[in-house]
Amino acid sequence: MKVIQIKCPRCQQPIYSKVKDRAFYCNHCRTMHIRNGGQEVIDFDIGEFNVNAPADRLYMPFWRLFSAFSINQSKVAGGTIHKLGRMIKGEANGGNLFIYVPAWETEVNEFKHWSVGLTENQPMYSLRSDFNNVERWPTTMSKEEAMQLADFVIVTMEAERPGVLQYLDYGLQVHDARLVYLPFVRGPSGLAPGF
Amino acid sequence: MSISVGLNCPACGGAIQISEGENVLNCNYCGSLLWAEGDAGVMTVAFRNAQGRDSVLRATEEWWRKGFKARDLRTKGKLLECYPIYLPFWSTTTRVAGWICGYEERHHTDRNGNTRTERIPKEEMVLHDYRYTNIACDPGDLGVKFLRNVSGEASFADFESIPTFESTTSKDDMVEMSKQNALSDARSDANVPHITFEKVTAIPKQISQIFYPVWVVRYSYGERMYMATVDGVTGKVLSGRAPGDALYQSLAMTGGTSVSGLIAAGSIAFGIGSGEGTIAIIGLVVGAAVLGFTYRFFRHGSEIIEGDFDDKRSSDLGKELRKGLKFNVGGFRI
Ligand SMILES: [Zn+2]
Ligand SMILES: [Zn+2]
Repeated sequence: MKVIQIKCPRCQQPIYSKVKDRAFYCNHCRTMHIRNGGQEVIDFDIGEFNVNAPADRLYMPFWRLFSAFSINQSKVAGGTIHKLGRMIKGEANGGNLFIYVPAWETEVNEFKHWSVGLTENQPMYSLRSDFNNVERWPTTMSKEEAMQLADFVIVTMEAERPGVLQYLDYGLQVHDARLVYLPFVRGPSGLAPGF
Repeated sequence: MSISVGLNCPACGGAIQISEGENVLNCNYCGSLLWAEGDAGVMTVAFRNAQGRDSVLRATEEWWRKGFKARDLRTKGKLLECYPIYLPFWSTTTRVAGWICGYEERHHTDRNGNTRTERIPKEEMVLHDYRYTNIACDPGDLGVKFLRNVSGEASFADFESIPTFESTTSKDDMVEMSKQNALSDARSDANVPHITFEKVTAIPKQISQIFYPVWVVRYSYGERMYMATVDGVTGKVLSGRAPGDALYQSLAMTGGTSVSGLIAAGSIAFGIGSGEGTIAIIGLVVGAAVLGFTYRFFRHGSEIIEGDFDDKRSSDLGKELRKGLKFNVGGFRI
């Protein structure tokens, strides 16, 4: 077994952190990389805070999955609203969809809340090129695991509506995953969006 | 999960602790972010042997006194050898995420004897981590296939002095087996009797190799040889074979045959008297089953077997461990 110091693959500077973070960000050259067997430099987004956002700001990491999705049939006992159907833009029963998967260490309700909430109501924000010294919450979920959780998010959206899900026939293909840092504000009742 | 292994920071030399399955860590001294990697992607830890010859023999003697083992084992049992070995185990964590939907049927009978079936729709969310351990070499006749204990001090300090068995089974097979087990464990935990829709994904989270100290005790009783294994961390007996007690056997034999005889005879008499042929047949079958059980106990009762043996008749330990340890760590920890 071996232990190595993590260094930026672009400028070779060591990376320091007070917390365990699977997304390795180089403060010198702003390169982000992940490791899984080998090392992989990744593209990532940083969202701009709303000018009115309160002061206790932080960036929360999400894996945003670029997916093709189509719904064929859904049957619910005691319910009627068709959440998934309404979401799809484009073709009548299919189209592209961004699925948001929280990449930090969450508890199950928080995970459901943010994954379903942001996938249903896609966040709108402008991009910036650095973190502007705002705290960056550590990423603990790997890209591979996030991609494998896509189905869970989709079915949760349909199952969480009124009634009891009995049948769901859909097609889902996850093409790619991008690490997205969304602006959040720490408030008295937990996290709130800051975009 | 409490296995951790001590290593040093490659940047400053400070002591660092790695927990099982965790690749990323940070040095508390210099703040470097560090990456830990096992050979071929598998982390390896070894547990420190915390037992000695004396405590192992004490545990074995205590074990001799339990159950229907020969009552003179303590005086007639002769110790032949007692030594520790390291056995390799695979240890995996598999996350299962998904939904299982369907219904449960309940039958209601009203006063007139009409039966109505009620369908209760069910949707169950599945989100758990399951942990499995499995021996990574041929266990031979040791009767140890799973780890009962997964906490203790990790150290390679005893590696020089204790013979170590190499892993011979495939890591990929273990990952695949864990996925299949996690899916079926999750399905049984969801408890939806009639499934109409299911979308469940099994995600392998980590695999590691654990070298675990096990003491082997070989002893004789009369002409025959027996063995026992003792957990080198907890000091508990893991498995073993021991002579059964002759008195218990003969009691079971006579008790068994007379009970089976009575059941068979009673039901024949009752059958003839009442003209109910079926009861007599049932009685005969039950009688035969009791007799069969007695016969088995008599044949194998000369030996008491405990542990994960394939031909095991006397213990259910293996069965309860085959099911994964379910983690409900606040539901979900990533
Ligand atoms: Zn750099
Ligand atoms: Zn250090």
